Amino acid sequence: MPKTINISHSLNNKTCKEMTDLVLGYVNNQLNSRLKRDFERHLDLCPDCVSFLNTYKKTIQASGSFDPAEMPPRVRDNILNFLRKRIRRLATLLLYLISQLAG
Amino acid sequence: MTTENALGDQSFSAQSIQGGFIAGGLSSARVKQRAMARRSKAVEADSLLIERLKAGDQAALEEAFNLYSAKLYNVAQRILGEAADAKEVIQDVFLIVYHKAKSFKGNSQFSTWLYRLTVNAALGKIRRSKKHREVEYEEFLPKFQKDGHHLVRPVVDWSDSLDEKYAKHEMQQLLVKTLEQLKPVDKSVVVLSDLEGLSDKEIAATLDLTVSAVKTRLHRARLFLRGNLAVQLGHSAA
Repeated sequence: MPKTINISHSLNNKTCKEMTDLVLGYVNNQLNSRLKRDFERHLDLCPDCVSFLNTYKKTIQASGSFDPAEMPPRVRDNILNFLRKRIRRLATLLLYLISQLAG
Repeated sequence: MTTENALGDQSFSAQSIQGGFIAGGLSSARVKQRAMARRSKAVEADSLLIERLKAGDQAALEEAFNLYSAKLYNVAQRILGEAADAKEVIQDVFLIVYHKAKSFKGNSQFSTWLYRLTVNAALGKIRRSKKHREVEYEEFLPKFQKDGHHLVRPVVDWSDSLDEKYAKHEMQQLLVKTLEQLKPVDKSVVVLSDLEGLSDKEIAATLDLTVSAVKTRLHRARLFLRGNLAVQLGHSAA
């Protein structure tokens, strides 16, 4: 049976739902001092929101822990060759058009 | 200082830059000063590069490619999930850079423009492929009672068990699958924020969104990812 904790709104001014809305600002240190104080007071009283905050932080940590998708050297060379060919073709076409106009 | 540092600087949040240098004994003001000096030099180097691109200098394109393609490939691959698609996106992006350099007005940083071209090309590819299946976020978002308390209590703190249950590569596979379920624009926001370390303002400029919209999308996406991870670990998303 979950432990029921009666969180008085007058004590901390915030419900758990409001805490969820503020959590991004809290982890980014973007809350003003009053909101930050209310947020932390609520945390002192509410283990559910502590768990929520820990798992929210863990999610950010996890999604930032990806190894970069490395471009294989072969793909890199292919793209560079493709770009060189396209630019050369365009330059040739331009020279042809200029010569036609001049002629 | 090379142009690479321009993107490098953007790739770290102010917090992480500070953390690293403070650990080395430098004051916060000094750290900010150094970061600003690096960024300013990098912006200068980028301006020279873009001028050469505007003049049709092919060597400048290759220079830009050498500096930025690895980062842009990472972004494209994370948004698209397919290496072949990411390759096509990078090809298209650098062709656009070469042909449209003259249209770059300098209202944003060169690196922001490159990110924008890459994300737009990737999102366009997703739209055209029609492969993306919309997933309802609601199921994985936290839920509350009428009085504002958590609906399912106790909320389980699984933050330590995630690393215990999954090896690093398993965790990455799990995250890839979870990220794939995000709406494409939300996924782009998460990739630019959590993987590339761009600020909300930089992401807003890249995706042509307001800063407030970026925050909302990022928060909702993280709540969805959190709920999804909780379910994977056998807990309630709520």
